[in-house]
Amino acid sequence: MTARLYKKARVSDTISIVAHQLKNPISVLYGYLEVLASEDLGKLNKKQKEYLLDALKNVEAMSNIVKDLLDVSKIEEGRYKIKPQVVDLGKICKEIIKNLSSWARASNCEIVFSAPAKLPNVYVDPSKIRYVIENLISNAVMYKSSGPAKVEVKLKKRKDKVLFMCKDNGIGISNKDVDKIFSKFFRSEEAVMLNPAGTGLGLYISKAIIRLNGGEIWFEKNKNKGMTFYFTLPIA
Amino acid sequence: MTKKEKKKKILMIEDNIFLRKLYRDKLTREGFTFIEATNGIEGINKSITEKPDLIILDLILPRKNGFDVLDDLRKDSRTKDIPVVVLSNLGQEMDVKEALSRGAQEYLVKTETRLEEVIKKIKKWLPK
Repeated sequence: MTARLYKKARVSDTISIVAHQLKNPISVLYGYLEVLASEDLGKLNKKQKEYLLDALKNVEAMSNIVKDLLDVSKIEEGRYKIKPQVVDLGKICKEIIKNLSSWARASNCEIVFSAPAKLPNVYVDPSKIRYVIENLISNAVMYKSSGPAKVEVKLKKRKDKVLFMCKDNGIGISNKDVDKIFSKFFRSEEAVMLNPAGTGLGLYISKAIIRLNGGEIWFEKNKNKGMTFYFTLPIA
Repeated sequence: MTKKEKKKKILMIEDNIFLRKLYRDKLTREGFTFIEATNGIEGINKSITEKPDLIILDLILPRKNGFDVLDDLRKDSRTKDIPVVVLSNLGQEMDVKEALSRGAQEYLVKTETRLEEVIKKIKKWLPK
């Protein structure tokens, strides 16, 4: 892509240029693997299919990293825009938990959700908030301790806000890392051990999203084990 | 598609050789005639000479970018009614709005749209 076209595409900094450059090879890889996995070109044996599906998952992960890098770049340049609307947060939570539940069960983890029957709607950008909720719940599952685990997701009304809570009994965070958790690219040693492929961008982006949507995000270390993440969002 | 039915012709304007190959193979298997152009100018010329039933258009292209290609296609009476599906890496809302306002029928982001979904959209926009 020429410099003129990058300007046209409103792409300016190095990170976003590199991220954009990676999009075509990722699309090509995904497309080719998708065709092979669909068996359009011939039947695969069990092992070939397994390898292809693993490759697809990894390309998808690569695509998400590129997307995160572009989001970081937009956040830092003040170009990250939100489109708020009236949103039923409970519905979003249920959909996300449904999508994550089979993966969680396979990881020996149960996700439990509760919310009051009459919870007010919030006024936020649904796709961006979906990213935050997915990020927090999947982190809670991914960074669980060994053995059976439980993740509790709760919604509550709190004055003119809705409060989201995600409590886990996972590996938690050591005291020396507490101040760094929302920092860009930060990953604790424990997190790296459990998931070497993470980027340390999810919580950084989540914090920016919650603030842009008029809320606050924070966490607490649980008394026994694990941690609880909270965020608030304005009632519609 | 029956043998007697005339095959629908799809033009892909895309500078990435591997993506062209992917779509050439897939669309040929689906029973379409596939033609291709590697830059904006060639794309406009082939739109006029080949009279495709639908165009798949990238936006970041050599020689003439996809936004300008859209303008030229819509200005020319020979190409103004050909449906255009944009398939681009640009995913910002302003890019989508701009392409749709310049006459694209559909806007798909490459990394966010699976091949099968692209094929579905192509079939949706092909003239019956």
